[in-house]
Amino acid sequence: MGGGSRLGRFVNAIEEGVIAFLFAAMTLVTFSQVVARYVFNSGAVWAVELTTNLFAWMVLFGISYGVKVNAHLGVDAFVRLFDSRKQRIFALVAVAAGLVYAGILFAGSWEYVSKLYKIGIEAEDLKIPRWILKMALPIGLGLLFFRFAQAGWMIVTGRKTGLLIGDEAQDAIRQHLKNMKDESESGGTGAPPR
Amino acid sequence: MTIAFLFIALFSLLLIGVPIAVSLGLSSVLTIMFFSHDSLASIALKFFETMEHYTLLAIPFFILSSAFLSTGGVARRLIRFATALVGHMHGGLAMSSVLACMFFAAVSGSSPATVVAIGSIVIAGMVKAGYSKEFAAGVICNSGTLGILIPPSIVMVVYAAATDTSVGRLFMAGVIPGLIAGLMLMIGIYIAARYLKIARLPRAPFSEIWASFRDAIWGLLLIVVIMGGIYGGIFTPTEAAAVAAVYAFLVALFVYRDMGPLKNRTADPDAPFIGRFAKGCIESVLYLPVGMVHEDTRKVLLEAGKMTIMLLFIIGNAMLFAHVLTTERIPHAITETIISAGFEPWMFLIIVNIILLIAGNFMEPSAILLIMAPILFPIAVKLGIDPIHLGIIMVVNMEIGLITPPVGLNLFVTSGITGMSILQVVRAAFPWLMILLVFLVLVTYVPILSTFLPDLVFGKAIS
Repeated sequence: MGGGSRLGRFVNAIEEGVIAFLFAAMTLVTFSQVVARYVFNSGAVWAVELTTNLFAWMVLFGISYGVKVNAHLGVDAFVRLFDSRKQRIFALVAVAAGLVYAGILFAGSWEYVSKLYKIGIEAEDLKIPRWILKMALPIGLGLLFFRFAQAGWMIVTGRKTGLLIGDEAQDAIRQHLKNMKDESESGGTGAPPR
Repeated sequence: MTIAFLFIALFSLLLIGVPIAVSLGLSSVLTIMFFSHDSLASIALKFFETMEHYTLLAIPFFILSSAFLSTGGVARRLIRFATALVGHMHGGLAMSSVLACMFFAAVSGSSPATVVAIGSIVIAGMVKAGYSKEFAAGVICNSGTLGILIPPSIVMVVYAAATDTSVGRLFMAGVIPGLIAGLMLMIGIYIAARYLKIARLPRAPFSEIWASFRDAIWGLLLIVVIMGGIYGGIFTPTEAAAVAAVYAFLVALFVYRDMGPLKNRTADPDAPFIGRFAKGCIESVLYLPVGMVHEDTRKVLLEAGKMTIMLLFIIGNAMLFAHVLTTERIPHAITETIISAGFEPWMFLIIVNIILLIAGNFMEPSAILLIMAPILFPIAVKLGIDPIHLGIIMVVNMEIGLITPPVGLNLFVTSGITGMSILQVVRAAFPWLMILLVFLVLVTYVPILSTFLPDLVFGKAIS
């Protein structure tokens, strides 16, 4: 995943770097506020707004990364009852749902941001136009749409089995059990492959 | 009609394997589009507002501090200390795992993090000492759930945000129930270990208890930082979480040095204390910039970031879902029904537990809290149930939800660290789950367990 081509590795490094940086920044801003209050007896009014916006950017930017690395939680008990061909169809339906979701919210956030752009007001305490801060929404949801589409393509071409956490791990376990069963049936004694 | 559509959409999406967050979000968005006049822009705004909720901001920081603690060797030291304390009893190693989980729960706010931090070390040790793998995995999977009951707790932060109760009160309310749950698990282990005749460890000499305590003190101090900070009125819970994250970073990199630029560079133990202390301080300051951008730090930030993103994506969409419920006046309608049906508080609490236990099977705890709390809260207030007590009941239900399939995060992580299948972990966890169910009944019907400490510390709530 992501590690294949040179471009893939590069994009991966950027995504991971951005998440780590935003996380570190919001922690340090909040921490320094506590220090400033007690040590220097002062504090910045814009700190809370900055922190929440860093947080929003991290989450909205990271959702699509989460789809790429299968970090999202879901229920797969029902789908597992079917054979792998039907599971693939379910996975594609799930991807379609993801695309619809990302599409609708993208449209909504675009509408919202363009309204803010027209009004042109600044944020409460930060000296930045509000529409720039809220750009996290269309950017994050646009990326999410892209990653869902990509996951769909990978499922069609058989490079991915599903969207959820554990999809990969459980496949490995099932493969392992299947191999053991095959061996006991054929009387083989070879070590099960990892 | 609207509500039927909302729930049918939610469950069908969940069933076919759509991620929980997207299922919640898509069913709410479709309901809004078909049945109400809200604009899409207002939905987008609602989603963004989740991240601007100051109380919820504590969540990423607690996740980050847990991540530093579990990779930074704090867990290992807490385990050593716990083993020195109770290791010599029947089932001592398993008991000390429970105790270590309780210690870790007191510095971290998440259950899966507790399972990973403690479980990845003790399960192998328990198997070596003659416990079966099932026994070890079952114990850890269950005692790991204490992570959200013993403060700090991410789930309590979510409840506080959903109902506008005080995070500080909730944290305090979790202390006694958390101790009781740990004790009950230990008693269960004691009985099982006598029955299974598991070998005991020799009693640790006092010197080992003292040495392991001194070694673990930097981790244990975090309890003082978090709880003392909040109750001393020094910081808000959100700030306490951020301070905890920075503290955990400093301890992991510069005190214990299990990660980062100073890894494996420990001080000469024979040097005088003052000298070692001064040298440590100088080194820490010198290496601080390197430590902040070190690869290990980045990895921890990324892991914690992934977890935060996953959780907040669910929370944001659960907020949308709860928003739809409120605009349809569902909490109001249900309250009317329950009150006019003349339910006694104890009957209501049975219903609450059953609904939450079922919901816990299919959903992530934070999402359940955000959806159910606005419904249950007004009823509880009308029936004279303390909101803090209700919060603890909900948290204990969520604990059980974490170890029941198909959606149980603790099952996933236990399976991940032991290599057992989810089904095997479910079976291993089952006997201990019974103890937690008994505990749930206890917490539900003995409200004083939850309300005693917060009332003592903050004075009785005015309601």
